[in-house]
Amino acid sequence: MKVPVLKQRQYLIASIQAALSDIDFIELRDELVTQVGHFRSRGVIVDVAPLDVLDSFAARTLRNIAHMIKLRGAEMVVVGIQPDVAFAMVQLGLVLEGVHTALDLEEGLAYLDERLGHLSGHAG
Amino acid sequence: MESTSKSLRSEATRPRADGGLSDGRATAPESRTSSLALEMQIDALELARRKDFLELAEADVQRLRELNGAATQYAEEVIEAFYSHLLSFEEGREFFSSTETLERVKQMQKRYFLELTKGSYDLAYIEDRLRIGEVHERIGLPMKLYLGMYNFYLRSVATRIFNADPADPERALLRFQSLMKLTFLDIGAAIDTYIFQRERTIREQQEAIRELSTPVLQVRDGLLILPIIGVIDPQRARQLTGQLLRAIRSTRAKVVVMDITGVATIDTSIANHLVQTVDASRLMGATVIVTGLAPEIAHTLVTLGVDLSKMQTVGDLQGGIEEAERLLGYAITRS
Repeated sequence: MKVPVLKQRQYLIASIQAALSDIDFIELRDELVTQVGHFRSRGVIVDVAPLDVLDSFAARTLRNIAHMIKLRGAEMVVVGIQPDVAFAMVQLGLVLEGVHTALDLEEGLAYLDERLGHLSGHAG
Repeated sequence: MESTSKSLRSEATRPRADGGLSDGRATAPESRTSSLALEMQIDALELARRKDFLELAEADVQRLRELNGAATQYAEEVIEAFYSHLLSFEEGREFFSSTETLERVKQMQKRYFLELTKGSYDLAYIEDRLRIGEVHERIGLPMKLYLGMYNFYLRSVATRIFNADPADPERALLRFQSLMKLTFLDIGAAIDTYIFQRERTIREQQEAIRELSTPVLQVRDGLLILPIIGVIDPQRARQLTGQLLRAIRSTRAKVVVMDITGVATIDTSIANHLVQTVDASRLMGATVIVTGLAPEIAHTLVTLGVDLSKMQTVGDLQGGIEEAERLLGYAITRS
């Protein structure tokens, strides 16, 4: 299942709609890394709000995406982790080390704006 | 009482799996049998055990069936005497606010009465009994009245069974004993529902107390304070974490000051719960500042080797709030 990736200003927004298989995650990773280079994006937001579950594979892949994207000059933020999911993750020791997180899309954009400064003169 | 007629009405319109009022959910016949009995963990095996203990066997079932004819005949009489007796007491009268309610209840009681001699005492039968018990518990009928009613009923039927069979008192006795065994199976089910409902109420109240004792307070836009006081057991810790995470989502908090000044002692498990709370909050975009670590707690944490590197701590609540405000970009001035 393909995750829609939208471009907003200097950022890419990947909105996960439903549970992803391992393969879907790999495809998302490759897609984001490619698009970051194509659009020369400075920030990527991955929105996982609809997900009930984030397992170790998903967590590991998200960390990999963050690292790979960093190597291409962009910051990544994971947003939308729900209370129950957050709780379940920490009990399994999945803390998304080194990946920045925010409450939702709005907070994620605010974070990127602050971190990267306003680049194209648009208000935050 | 208004509530009396409402709950009795739902009984009269054929029991549903939800066992109660105005839900309106359609119920498939299969699920009907497993609902209350399942919740109370009374399955086929448990039912068999209960029958064994009461020595309720095939012979008894057969004898009860034999009573069906006579039972159908004297049903009305017994029910009338039954309710006259109940209504002669003020406590009994309280439960029947109108003749309408009384009539409806009498009909239900008659149905119940006749079920006793139909010869089918499976899980569906028990489910029905449990549901009746649930209704009585809900309307607040005291157990003493409930038991008194069963007793009155048994005595009036005993007389009739013996009068119907003057030539064979032994058989009459056996039949009466079979009826007694079944009635006690019913009484057991009824008492179990009372206990079950009371326990459920206690659990709900305990839950409410737990929520109240750990308030999550918003002191600024984006800033939550979680003052933890008293003993934390793993269950309270879990409830606390859940409450905090939900509050972070609803108030869009970016910083949480978790104050543990009021926590007397801490062990590895609680320390780990605290670390988990900090980590989970971070996953939702909020930073947690832990304040109020007493020297003893600090000592314990260090000794236990708990990884505190990811935990931001400040000595006291005031300091914690000041740090939180700084993080959120507030500057306080004094005029």
